Amino acid sequence: MNEIRKEDERVKGTQEYVLLDLSHSPETGFDQFAQVVKRTFGKELFVGLWVTLREMGSTLFGKGKHTVSYPLEKMPIAPRYRAIHDMLRLLESGNYRCIGCGLCEKICISNCIAMDTKYDENQRKEVSEYTINFGRCIFCGYCAEVCPELAIVHGGRYENASEQRASFSLFEDMLKPIDMLTQQKEFDGFGAVSPNADENIKKTPLAY
Amino acid sequence: MEHKKDIKTQIQVTIDGKICNGTTNDTILKIARRNGIYIPTMCYLTKVEPIASCRMCIVDVEGVDGHILSCQERAVDGAVVHTQNSELFKQRQNIMKLYNVNHPLECGVCDKSGECDLQNKTLEYGVEVQTFQTKEPHRPVQNWGFISYDPALCIMCEKCVKVSHEITGNEALRIKMGGYKSTILNTKNDHFDSSLGESAAVCPVGALVDTSFKYSTNAWELTKIPATCSHCSSGCALSYEVKNDTIYRVTNPFEFSSLCGAGRYGFDFANRVNGKDKKAFDAGISAFKTAKTIKFSASITNEEAQILQELKNKFDYNLVCDEAYGYGEFMRAYSSTSGKSLYGGNLESLSKCEGIIVLGSRIEDDDPMVKYHITMASKRQSARVAYMHPIEDSRISNIVTQFIKYEVGSEEGVLALLLSYILSNKELPAHVSEYIKELDIGNLSAESNVGEEELEKFFKAIEKKNRFTLVIGSDIYAHPRVAHIAKLVGIIDSYSDFEIIAIPPATNALGVSLICDLDKQGVGESIGYNEIGDFTLSSQGAANLDMPALNQQEGTFTTIDKRVVATNVAISYDGYTLNDIANELGLYNKNTIDYTAKLPVSKGFMEVDFDNLRDDFDIEGNDMRGYLLASCETKKDDSLEEPAELSSFDGAMVYNCNETHYFGDATNKSKLLSSSESHTLKGSSQFAQIAKIEDGQSLRYSINDIVYERVFKIDTTLKGTIALNPTFDMGLSSSMVSSYRYNNFNIEKTNTVGAS
Ligand code: SF4
Ligand code: SF4
Ligand code: SF4
Ligand code: SF4
Ligand code: FES
Repeated sequence: MNEIRKEDERVKGTQEYVLLDLSHSPETGFDQFAQVVKRTFGKELFVGLWVTLREMGSTLFGKGKHTVSYPLEKMPIAPRYRAIHDMLRLLESGNYRCIGCGLCEKICISNCIAMDTKYDENQRKEVSEYTINFGRCIFCGYCAEVCPELAIVHGGRYENASEQRASFSLFEDMLKPIDMLTQQKEFDGFGAVSPNADENIKKTPLAY
Repeated sequence: MEHKKDIKTQIQVTIDGKICNGTTNDTILKIARRNGIYIPTMCYLTKVEPIASCRMCIVDVEGVDGHILSCQERAVDGAVVHTQNSELFKQRQNIMKLYNVNHPLECGVCDKSGECDLQNKTLEYGVEVQTFQTKEPHRPVQNWGFISYDPALCIMCEKCVKVSHEITGNEALRIKMGGYKSTILNTKNDHFDSSLGESAAVCPVGALVDTSFKYSTNAWELTKIPATCSHCSSGCALSYEVKNDTIYRVTNPFEFSSLCGAGRYGFDFANRVNGKDKKAFDAGISAFKTAKTIKFSASITNEEAQILQELKNKFDYNLVCDEAYGYGEFMRAYSSTSGKSLYGGNLESLSKCEGIIVLGSRIEDDDPMVKYHITMASKRQSARVAYMHPIEDSRISNIVTQFIKYEVGSEEGVLALLLSYILSNKELPAHVSEYIKELDIGNLSAESNVGEEELEKFFKAIEKKNRFTLVIGSDIYAHPRVAHIAKLVGIIDSYSDFEIIAIPPATNALGVSLICDLDKQGVGESIGYNEIGDFTLSSQGAANLDMPALNQQEGTFTTIDKRVVATNVAISYDGYTLNDIANELGLYNKNTIDYTAKLPVSKGFMEVDFDNLRDDFDIEGNDMRGYLLASCETKKDDSLEEPAELSSFDGAMVYNCNETHYFGDATNKSKLLSSSESHTLKGSSQFAQIAKIEDGQSLRYSINDIVYERVFKIDTTLKGTIALNPTFDMGLSSSMVSSYRYNNFNIEKTNTVGAS
């Protein structure tokens, strides 16, 4: 019983309605006609036109610009945005980071990563083929998340128009160009290590 | 036949509260596994004797102090065993920690990842933190030909070493002791044997891997196609591991069974065709309508053999299969005196023997699995092994206790001698003892060159032993006196405790000899199936109409174990098959495997559908694949004859024999197996002298109308006047090499010395 009463009070509350100060609407046909004439030929029209003109001027030439001039200018993409993949390099040696473990290939739910590896002259595992079929990729980011080497990450390239799908699906195309290595930032986007990664590291001593 | 050692007493033990039955010979681990109780192991390999190097399998037995190694300790009646408690868990966890000391964190690239025992058990025992370390010596990867060894990954479980000694008998691998620095050594660095693949197969980590497979793909990307090896009659279980219509590697149920190098590395023999060639097919159909004979090799499935037989029933073809004909004759004659439609031995029983006689086969080359099982018998029970052959084989001196040489062609006399020794002091029916009495032992011994004292020595050595096997090889089946030799074998089988194994000379020679009524010779126009005919069907190229290779077909083989086992399609094939031809000719079966249930019950086959054939081993390692042939009625014919006079073989001779892991065209095609060495005629320097040829000389000679052009090589391990002539690379004619394996050596033309 008590419960219900409390509920009722809350519903009632205090009502603080405000009445809007509305001008009277024209009531007769003549009044309506007079209003149209006044609005059409009064200065209001020119005030409106002037406002538009002024804003256009400030947008085009002044400070009032609110859009980016695509394609000359592009919106900065948030680091966690998932666009076309980037293949990163090791900062020290410039070698690509991918070790060919195949985890990205395995985890990919749309089955669009295909790769081949081989035993190279230095007795190491080498990635000999690596492609992502972007016609199938759903940009889920699993590959970036699973990669143990931070080798595959999602980059900011979101314009998925091309004459051929193949033209942006090869390993070399995704790989950070070697001359841009200095611009490669330690990635903090999708698949990056968590900010507190250091705390999570466990001791695995290896003495060589 | 009951043997003393086989009599085991039933016992009962309680494992983790469950009452389990076993016998006195069983280890605790065996009983536990049989009852579905899990005990972790790292070094245990079912098919070899317990290694006992890892201590993971420790259990507690009530009333016994300390932990017990369940893998090697035999169970005692009434014992109460505990396999899991916190103390055991901690001990096992510590073992895993030790295994992980300095173990490289390279699962990301390691070939074993995904099927690695170390990976699995590290996770199972929650080893998340590594708290100790040691100085790591530099240990580079070593390439041993077919396999490569990464000492940094090795956990020293010793499985590889055990296998190389106890199974393959190659004995190349050895442990170099040195505490933490221990590694595995390959002591035969000069010759990399393909049987090393067996060692790589059992390695629980990525330390030993197939060099060809290394880093090529991940285990989980491959589809396993369960199949049967099609190279020889052992019919070993294997899986073709396939990705993108390509075989990446061959694996096998290594816990329980083995593969030789041919099975493991000779997998790339598929016949790839571009769709159906209607014109060739129509030509084939009209060829079948005019032909009177079908010639074929015995490397076909039972189902194909059945199709050929049904075609014979309908159109009265002569069926000619040189590879299986002699074998069929042998088996029929053997049955007539032994009263058994099939011989009694099998590979498993062979490995349990204590006395073995091998006659008429160069086993190291001819029958790797037979050799492996003799090795097991030799290593486990110190079996006495008499290797009777005209050519000594130094490679198997580690398992052969006595080499008994006989003259080429004298096999019949040798068997008569064996018969008289094996059956001495046995109770015999009159006609047999009469026969033995009339044998002129002295003369037989002189003619065959088998000394009586040699035989006496062997039979004295096995006097106190149990379980014997007489292994008969393919030298016999093409011997002119095969039928009578087989009768003598049958007599031995009937009246002694020797078991018999007659090794089928080609993949499905046993199946073909049972299913088809073979004719010795063809008449008129012929169809050749994997053999040269007027119209040739072939999976090996040089075909008028292409056929699928044996890894592109479904079907069954009949193995040396008299087991009918299934094989499956690993590589796609979209051309015509024999069944298409049969259907066109009026036999109506949609698929080749529809014939599986129609194989002749009168010959011991069962009416089982292909899809109901199992392809696995049970938890104890018993072969559950397919089914065993049933024995059936035989015709009795006990009449025996004097051994015939020898036809003379003198001077330089050649013996048709392919080097280890080569069998026929399929192995010839294999990229991994190929080596120029295997195509040479090999002989001793004595042979070179008699034949008046030199090392490196190119020769042209013919044997049974097949012309060979080979380079001659002196092989210092060989002795005597017999050279080894490979036939596996002769394409379609290799299956026609059907005569007695020894021939006089006639050089047709000697080219100038092409010193190479
Ligand atoms: S997960 Fe990373 S390291 Fe592994 S294959 Fe993919 S990109 Fe290469
Ligand atoms: S052997 Fe096993 S644990 Fe060691 S790196 Fe290879 S997969 Fe990982
Ligand atoms: S190489 Fe493999 S099988 Fe051999 S001891 Fe090392 S881990 Fe065991
Ligand atoms: S060739 Fe013979 S012994 Fe070798 S794997 Fe094949 S069936 Fe087994
Ligand atoms: S399994 Fe028993 S000691 Fe390794």
